[in-house]
Amino acid sequence: MGRYIIRRLLQAIPLMLIISIILFALMQNMGDPVATLGGRKATRPSDRIRLTRQLGLDKPIYTQYVYWLIGNDWADIDLDGDGIAESKGHRQGVLRGDFGTSLVNRGKPATEVIWDRIPNTMLLMVASEAIIIFFAMLVGVYSALRQYTIMDNVITTLSFVGYSMPIFFIALLSMYLFSVKFKEWGLPSLPTVGMFDPQVGKTPKQVALHMILPVMSIAVISLAAYSRFIRSTMLEVMGQDYIRTARAKGLKGRYVVLVHALKNASLPIVTIVGLDLPLLLGGAIVTERIFAWPGMGRLFLDHVSRLDVPVVMGILMLIALAVIVFQIITDVTYAWLDPRIRYE
Amino acid sequence: MLKKNRLMILFSLLLVFSFALAACGTTTDEPAADEPAADVPAAEEPAADAPAAEEPAVESPAERKVATFIWTQEFDTLNPYYSNMWFSIITQELWNQQPWIFDDANGPVPVLLKEMPSVSDDGMVITMNLRDELVWSDGEPLTADDFVFTYNMVMDPANTVASTYPFDQLTSMEATDERTVVMTFAEPFVPWVATMWSSILPEHILAPVFEAEGTIDEAPWNLEPTVSAGPFVFAEWESGSFVRFVRNDNYWGEPPKIDEIFFQFVPDDAAQVAALQTGDGDLGTFISYADVPTLEAAGVDLVTIKSGYNEGWFPLLWDNASPGILDVNVRKAMVMAFDRDSLNEDLLLGLTNTAASFWDNTPYVDPSIEPYPYDPEAAKALLEEAGWVDTDGDGIREKDGQPLVIRHGTSIREVRQDAQAVAQQQLAEVGIQLDIQSFDADILFAGFGDEGPCTTGEMDICEWSDTTAYPDPDIYYWLCSEIPTAEYPDGANWQNICNEELDGLFQAQAVETDPDKRTEMFHQISLIMHENVYWVGLWQDPDIWALNGRIQNAKISGVDPFFNIVDWELTD
Amino acid sequence: MSTIEANVAGFAVDPTEAPPLSLGQMTWRRFLRHKMAVAGAIMIILLFLYSFGGSFLYTEDFANATDTANRLQPPSAEHLFGTDQIGRDILARTIYGGQISLIIGSAAVLLQTLVGVIIGAIAGYYGGLIDSLLMRFTEAMFNIPQLFLLIVMAKTFAGKIANVQLFGRTFSGSVVIIIVIIGLTSWMYLARIVRAEFLSLKENEFVLAAKATGTSNLQIIFRHILPNSAAPIIVSATLGIANAILSESYISFLGLGVEPPTATWGNMLDRAAGNFNLISTAPWYWITPGMFIVLTVLSINFVGDGLRDALDPRSRSV
Repeated sequence: MGRYIIRRLLQAIPLMLIISIILFALMQNMGDPVATLGGRKATRPSDRIRLTRQLGLDKPIYTQYVYWLIGNDWADIDLDGDGIAESKGHRQGVLRGDFGTSLVNRGKPATEVIWDRIPNTMLLMVASEAIIIFFAMLVGVYSALRQYTIMDNVITTLSFVGYSMPIFFIALLSMYLFSVKFKEWGLPSLPTVGMFDPQVGKTPKQVALHMILPVMSIAVISLAAYSRFIRSTMLEVMGQDYIRTARAKGLKGRYVVLVHALKNASLPIVTIVGLDLPLLLGGAIVTERIFAWPGMGRLFLDHVSRLDVPVVMGILMLIALAVIVFQIITDVTYAWLDPRIRYE
Repeated sequence: MLKKNRLMILFSLLLVFSFALAACGTTTDEPAADEPAADVPAAEEPAADAPAAEEPAVESPAERKVATFIWTQEFDTLNPYYSNMWFSIITQELWNQQPWIFDDANGPVPVLLKEMPSVSDDGMVITMNLRDELVWSDGEPLTADDFVFTYNMVMDPANTVASTYPFDQLTSMEATDERTVVMTFAEPFVPWVATMWSSILPEHILAPVFEAEGTIDEAPWNLEPTVSAGPFVFAEWESGSFVRFVRNDNYWGEPPKIDEIFFQFVPDDAAQVAALQTGDGDLGTFISYADVPTLEAAGVDLVTIKSGYNEGWFPLLWDNASPGILDVNVRKAMVMAFDRDSLNEDLLLGLTNTAASFWDNTPYVDPSIEPYPYDPEAAKALLEEAGWVDTDGDGIREKDGQPLVIRHGTSIREVRQDAQAVAQQQLAEVGIQLDIQSFDADILFAGFGDEGPCTTGEMDICEWSDTTAYPDPDIYYWLCSEIPTAEYPDGANWQNICNEELDGLFQAQAVETDPDKRTEMFHQISLIMHENVYWVGLWQDPDIWALNGRIQNAKISGVDPFFNIVDWELTD
Repeated sequence: MSTIEANVAGFAVDPTEAPPLSLGQMTWRRFLRHKMAVAGAIMIILLFLYSFGGSFLYTEDFANATDTANRLQPPSAEHLFGTDQIGRDILARTIYGGQISLIIGSAAVLLQTLVGVIIGAIAGYYGGLIDSLLMRFTEAMFNIPQLFLLIVMAKTFAGKIANVQLFGRTFSGSVVIIIVIIGLTSWMYLARIVRAEFLSLKENEFVLAAKATGTSNLQIIFRHILPNSAAPIIVSATLGIANAILSESYISFLGLGVEPPTATWGNMLDRAAGNFNLISTAPWYWITPGMFIVLTVLSINFVGDGLRDALDPRSRSV
């Protein structure tokens, strides 16, 4: 097992390099980061020239990539625009843990910018995932046991409807209904945006209250995929011989389902959860944007719109790394749970 | 059965993990809400430098007056010299005063100065006299040295500030004594009142950083300016969520009536409107015209503030442009075929007017210039006269075998895309085909060197909203010297318009110290641009602010929106 | 997505299990048993009829005709679905928007299938260095969530293609861009399936026999192996259409989608639902395109589900 893990990790190195090259190349054509600097007016020509030079954006792509990868503290750069490279660079490069400093939050290391948002995204996502799994289990098991009944069809259809909706549609509608309309009608309403009410402060209760709508939106669109999956694995497991044996032994139907079938059906669920977890790191871009949730998805949007390459690259590399790591963890967990599986 | 146990362990591990995470997310700030005393954030942060800040801790949280401002864009940085972002720059007068600011009548008011600076007769030397009582929020005095330090930092090549303008016009800045700053220019610099100075940087905080690192690019103060000289002082910035400014108890001026200003960042326009409607926010800005009725219905006050912005078409007269756009008669016909008044009445709900010139909404506007009237018949006649006739019967006019197709580009802002579609329809009625495209702002505004669509003749007209160095009328991008070339790819005259008379006037106004003569020059400029259709005004583009009833005494200025923030009051 | 992955992965046509009916007949029978899938298929046909047949009722000029004096009119005899924020007829716009949405969905899937099949087939068939290089590349693309890649690519290609004149109509260049970027960000999963299929099939006797008789590699790939791995490709492509239509609406919502004047259901919904006041004051505006998106995606998902059941040789429900 140890050798397997080490081999997978070693394979990840060239993979990460390929990913970084693809992304870096794509990012060079996204526009001009100093065109407006987020302002209402276009940047003045003299400032454009100066900033392009100071930020090293006038260098060819491969030079920028090399600086990004291994830093530029070994090279001389021209700060004052006299054409003579006189100052040593400051950057250490990704390989030494320096993802550069953000172009938006000027002077703040990209890693710090990203790190600030991770807990918020994880909070939202773990809560959503927990709710999705819980309800998916309920729905999946129920419709597996009552296959092709009216309720099964209704549940299936409803979850498919949720699955087929763009999330921003659900998010905006639920915000409109539960926040705006409920308030208008004098009913207890849910908060619209943010993580807490500034008048009250960041209490766990406030945060929980502000999580309801975003979590609900995420859950509605993802529930179908999970519950359908559980339903089909349950159906498959229930057709297996050992379940029939258990039934034949006279065990009660419910017990059989809960202990034997669900247990065995849980194994594949570990796989999909394991594959989905790293994606959670990226957060739900659209949901976070609508509910102004300060997570990574929104960070990505804000910074991609300002072409903040250090931060955007940082986020994408982090997610890619998380995907790789979680794939390994999933494999290991799977082997641990099912001793029949051996990795060589 | 072993497997079952392992599964149990796994699930419980996951559960513990998620709870731990949830805890990380919340516990850090939890005590702040439970204990009233800790609710005064200033007490936590710079406790050592600001002993006075602990005083008001006795107040109960219920009595604290917290105003929530809903901002659709998060600050990039709070250092005004590193930011170009309107949403960040306009907060300056909340927490870090400028030498002078503009009131709601757009008149300059000295703040850090005893009176407005005196200008020497030749217009080259400007002298500022500082007030005596100025102190930073940590008790250090604010002196002329801080002014000079600010200038030095902006001009230092090691600092990647957003703009060195207008400091790059200076030849020197000196502190002749602790309270006097003298600025010297190479030639008379007329727009100084409108363009000089954002707020002042604290030398005693930033100079050590500069000495240690050789730059203040990474100074913590940029993102957490815990020492400042305004009525409020920075308390906390939670990335993606909010920034809090609390009352500066060391403020040298009249203390504000509100205890805390809370900026909540809400990136989605729709969510911003919802937050204002439900009262989750007290103030919002950059409200779109379409949302005005909804907010009004919810009892939110809407204030329209002129800040010199006008939405307009910039004809781009490059050699490789469509031949139509190079013909002044076609430009004139286009304007006359486009019913701008109805557009404003219907699409912008009659909340604004058609802009006649680039200087609408500024004191330099020429009131005698009227927008071209909507007259499609006259437009058709003009086109016929100029030789643009529909010979092949496809509904689009031609001349010398070239169809009259105009390529029009703008940003992806919805109201612009709507206006584009309306223009396309109306121009088609007189036989002009408008090809429309929209771009993200950083592509639309990409320069000549980056092959931006508006700088290379790829588009014939680009549409955006802009202002002068408001309230000063100066604008640099119709100067012939600003036409971008391979040698000067960053030139700002994307229109490629070089009119000798116009160029002369633009150069002359920049050094004309007599306001009346300067106004006269701008009237001439406006007329030339009107007659040649070098710029087509679509609508005056004021900023719309939304304030709910809780905020009292608010006056908003187009330049410095929070100029009277100390007078603002909250009621319930 | 996980569902698709988990269920399709198990596909392998077992040649030993010779069915009494032909594969096509059996599939058809199984498909017909899936009531929702049949309903979905009928719905899709109707939606195609609506979008493409509708052009005989209304011209595109009518769909783009603005009339600001009649903005945001509720449904009436004149405008059956009401008008939008600049007075355009929503009925006509859903027709032309539907065309674009369906074209984007289908074309993106075509591209995605093409790229996925070619890469998967080459990697699986040739193996060795080519396989590991292609699969590293596939994995690299796979490791970045699709929406992130879509945003980056939408920004990279935005405005790079001018408006296109086709069949006497003007299409915004962004339609092509959206098709390309959706296609280029969604082929990885298919490539993996196809590769797995090829790996298992290329050692089969019929392939070895074909090789022995000197059949060219290309012929073996396209004549012999590919048809035998059609089932998972068909299912994945069907569900891919739903995914592409949703992706288009997400990209529109983030302001990077198809640009005016070209309508799509996605950008219509975004324009209506993105403006809060319109949600309450002009419900007809967002309900219409929203309904079309949900109906289309739902129907396609049902059909995909039905196809999966029908094509799955392990399915014993016949």
